[in-house]
Amino acid sequence: MFRTEEMEINMGPQHPSTHGVLRLVLQLDGEEIKGVRPVIGYLHRGVEKLCEHRTYPMIEPLTDRLDYVAAVSENLGWCGAVEALLGVTPPPRAQYVRVVLAELQRIASHLLWLGTHALDLGAMTMFFYAFREREMILDLFESFCGARLTYNSMRIGGLYEDMPRGWIDRVRHFLKIFPGRMREYEDLLTVNRIFVGRTRGVGVLSAADAVAWGVTGPPLRASGVNYDVRKAIPYAAYADLEFDVPVGEHGDTYDRYLVRMEEMRQSLRILHQALDRMPDGEVRAKVSKFIKPPAGEVYHVVESPRGEQGFYVVAQSGEMPYRVRFRSPSFVNLQALPLMCRGRLVADVTAIIGSIDIVLGDCDR
Amino acid sequence: MAGDTSPLDHPVASRAVDLLRAEKTDALAGVTHHAGQALARVPLERLIEVLAFLRDHDELRFDHLSNLTAVHWPKNDKPFEIVYHLYSIPKRHRLTVKTAVAEGEAPPTATGLWPTANWHEREVFDLFGVRFEGHPDMTRILLTDEWVGHPLRKDYPLEGNPGDHVQYREVTTAEHVYNNDKAPLRGFGWRKEVEKTGLGRG
Repeated sequence: MFRTEEMEINMGPQHPSTHGVLRLVLQLDGEEIKGVRPVIGYLHRGVEKLCEHRTYPMIEPLTDRLDYVAAVSENLGWCGAVEALLGVTPPPRAQYVRVVLAELQRIASHLLWLGTHALDLGAMTMFFYAFREREMILDLFESFCGARLTYNSMRIGGLYEDMPRGWIDRVRHFLKIFPGRMREYEDLLTVNRIFVGRTRGVGVLSAADAVAWGVTGPPLRASGVNYDVRKAIPYAAYADLEFDVPVGEHGDTYDRYLVRMEEMRQSLRILHQALDRMPDGEVRAKVSKFIKPPAGEVYHVVESPRGEQGFYVVAQSGEMPYRVRFRSPSFVNLQALPLMCRGRLVADVTAIIGSIDIVLGDCDR
Repeated sequence: MAGDTSPLDHPVASRAVDLLRAEKTDALAGVTHHAGQALARVPLERLIEVLAFLRDHDELRFDHLSNLTAVHWPKNDKPFEIVYHLYSIPKRHRLTVKTAVAEGEAPPTATGLWPTANWHEREVFDLFGVRFEGHPDMTRILLTDEWVGHPLRKDYPLEGNPGDHVQYREVTTAEHVYNNDKAPLRGFGWRKEVEKTGLGRG
């Protein structure tokens, strides 16, 4: 009469810990996870098709809406790809300002991740702390370009405008405050018994698996593989700046946390150097108003806060690209989720999703 | 604008291309250079052999399949181009590999070499309608199962009334069932039971 069988339950698409419209079909044996099937596409907007009838500059605002919590990386990658097609190099000042924006964005994005990841694990205070500092960065962005999330402040060939007067001092003020705030976070989480218990040894991803599944960004580095696009294929001004690439060894959720925390510190280092060495001069190279790259193609990659963000652009003669593909880190990293969840408990799924740090707008495009 | 500063056509030194020329001469249909990146064209029959060579050769070690996608050229005899962007983490070099595919032809899957190809290939199937031979789960990924057509083909309209070109078809529950890992999930059989009882029909 009595028998046991595996149960299948839905998590999402509306679930607070999936960080967007992600649906997971969990296959359970009691509380243990036998299989996970991510179902994506709820936020698919056909951006790649849209790009085929937009001119090159018109696509930049679309890229803002892919990874909406790290729009600077998307803008930077898109402009970099088209600049490579045109053979244009932006002036040094533009390159440095781009680095400043990208690193501020990396901190803001990691803070959003930190707050929500800790909230998923029950540490509510952390959420308020992280958002307090993220707010400071968003204010900086607002005074830079007027927008808080979708900046669209870069242009093919450089920037739309130089930094406003006094902006560097405001960034420096933030750099002065932030290290102390980071110590507060670490006091709350790094040695917190509950947090460590929920993350250490959870969702282990081996280095070989991470590489085979194309995982990039902090999850790859937490598994012990030293691959950061900023070092491997330097773009903007990263070749001139000194920073270390934090690498974990266990590949678990706790290591992914430690890697991101250290990345924020390294971003501070980069910001200090970039502000100190800020060159003078123009912020925009001479680029024709009608951008028509010669026929050809390019695959340009940048390191977004989530991993390797690729832009594949095929140009035919004309003002619009023939084909665009956005290689989004969220899409690729999410593939490794079933691997990390197998054999764990349902409660661990929230911790593991949080530690991959996906953005569904980036994933579904 | 681009003019003489364009680096587009300048050949770049690539150890991968040299080795392919030396050891896989007859499998190389052409080499071009775009924006400082080497691109090797390979016929479909030799594709997996060449990709495996690139991944496993000691001097190349292309262990990271960064991107896999397709481009539609409706006027070509073989209208689809499948594009592989490879990167080697230990050797720090990159290579693009392309192969041409005719309408209805099924290229071999690369999931055996790089498991990450799984979702990329599903996306190519979803948006271009190119099926991959030997893929563990050749289903749509971004669009719904009911969708008719493949939007990234060039003959798919860019704009217009949804009713004019977006169509749906009936899908059985069996098609929703996932068939990966040889352990199919049970689908949503319970739904029929619920509907029989008329529960929740307000």
